[in-house]
Amino acid sequence: METAIKTVDLVREFKTSRGVFRALDGVNLEIPSGMIYGLLGPNGAGKTTLIRILSTLLLPTSGDAYVGGYHVVREAQKVREIINLVSGGERPGYGILTTRENLIYYAMLYGYSRREAEERVEEVSRLIGLEDFMNKRLNELSTGMVQKYSLARGLLNNPRILFLDEPTLGLDVENARSIRKLIRRLVDDGYIETILLTSHYMYEVEELCDRIAIIHRGRIIEEGTVEELKERVSSHVIYELTLQRVDGDLDFLRELDSVIGYKVRLSDVPGEARLRIIMAYEDISRVIGLLEKKMYRVKRVVRDEISLEDVFLKLVGRGIDE
Amino acid sequence: MSRILDDLRAAYARAWVRVKGNMRVKTWFLWEVVLPTIFMASVIYAYYNLDAPRIFIGFVVVGTMMMNFWFNVLWGMGNVLYWEKETGNLEVFLLSDRPIYMLLLGMALGGMLNTGIRSLAILLIGIFVFGAEFNTGGLMPATIVFLLTLAALYSLGLMFSSLHLVYGRKGIRINEILGDPISFLSGQYYPISVFPTVLQALASLLPLTIGLDGVRRALLLGQGLGDLYIHILGLGIMVMILLPLGIWVLNHMVEKGRRDGRLIMRWL
Repeated sequence: METAIKTVDLVREFKTSRGVFRALDGVNLEIPSGMIYGLLGPNGAGKTTLIRILSTLLLPTSGDAYVGGYHVVREAQKVREIINLVSGGERPGYGILTTRENLIYYAMLYGYSRREAEERVEEVSRLIGLEDFMNKRLNELSTGMVQKYSLARGLLNNPRILFLDEPTLGLDVENARSIRKLIRRLVDDGYIETILLTSHYMYEVEELCDRIAIIHRGRIIEEGTVEELKERVSSHVIYELTLQRVDGDLDFLRELDSVIGYKVRLSDVPGEARLRIIMAYEDISRVIGLLEKKMYRVKRVVRDEISLEDVFLKLVGRGIDE
Repeated sequence: MSRILDDLRAAYARAWVRVKGNMRVKTWFLWEVVLPTIFMASVIYAYYNLDAPRIFIGFVVVGTMMMNFWFNVLWGMGNVLYWEKETGNLEVFLLSDRPIYMLLLGMALGGMLNTGIRSLAILLIGIFVFGAEFNTGGLMPATIVFLLTLAALYSLGLMFSSLHLVYGRKGIRINEILGDPISFLSGQYYPISVFPTVLQALASLLPLTIGLDGVRRALLLGQGLGDLYIHILGLGIMVMILLPLGIWVLNHMVEKGRRDGRLIMRWL
């Protein structure tokens, strides 16, 4: 299979007032074409930095990166001809102009004449389902429609490779689902050859991506399909416990050799919390004993299936949004 | 050839956006025409009060018209480029692989059209309300000097814009530093002959001073191309130096921005 994106020992450092911050620390990736590839990691893991380097907006400090076979520094022009980038939560464009006018402007940046730009914009708006919003001013669009508009913008130059940086950031459940369906269709129907998508939403990556890399503190710590990644923790034991209350951290659980990682989130029931815990071997009775010793009342215990979240817990020792 | 055409299309697209956006603000006539006329009127009334020769009315009108283009360079190029970066538009532009000076050319052309409308309105108000008189024989040499002045000013604009790109919001200070002092030095409302010699020499280095003087000589005194050859030569040399230098500085700053990450950082 042809390689769409490749990075070799990619490093990017930023100078800050407190010294040098290494955002990417020797990233090695090989992304085959013809798929949606997910880059999963918490905020500040280096996802956006990597995408900005691949889209030629930022130079690497050292190492190499290739997109579509072209070097992102030495052949940046060739890279730009085959890519586009859409960032979630951003609203590039001119609020006072309509969606159509904004898209015509962006199409013309790609060398279309005014008439060709109008045709291309109509074509893309049909594909994305923007037709009813084309005459609305950009500053009148809802967040969900803005994201569709941004996706339309990203398709104007007919890119082979599309970078999507947190494409559903800030969207409600329904709009996020609609955007995910659209993204899937772009690859399945052959509009885009390869998509590299960054996200810190587990379910998004699990639902959309054919392969995944987990990035943490500027390093790729695991790579594979969702099934392969789950397989790598298949020998581990996962429990979800419902606790009466959680105040303070539960780091005392790490005293147990069996505990690899845990994540706490609030339950839908007021006053309750859910504790998801990953263990190297079956040791739930000691976990419960320790919790009760610390005055935590355990209301329910369920042994659970392995999810992508557990892979992350195992690798990093904490949840992605903690 | 095709690449040059594509680049020019990008400049046209940016100019189109600027003109369209400006005209869509319903109060544009108030901002663009009425308000700039008020200060000009106050200066004209001051000259009336001093019983100054009638030529001074035209002098003030030309000064006000041309100063608009200078303020367009300062606020309509550098400052807008900064906002383009903050809103993510610059990233989108850079992804399209068009040279950044084409983005600025588009902003400049769009701005020139908007400023042109303003200046035309000021000219008409100057003639029909305040009775300014111009020598129509000087129209052609005035146009040549005016276009060369614009080219020199917008070349300077390329350089100032790059500072906005690197220094972010601090760039606004540069506009303030370059706004009023240049308006003062270039003689917007008075002949620079009133200055001491050192200031006169300093002012003569500014394209705006040369341009204003040339256009005034043509339109008010009826001087022809032969009389204005020093102005034309001076401005021509300035354009030949400033334009490539402006493009080089801008490209250099974009590469620096890619290297140190400033192109993608916001709210600096």
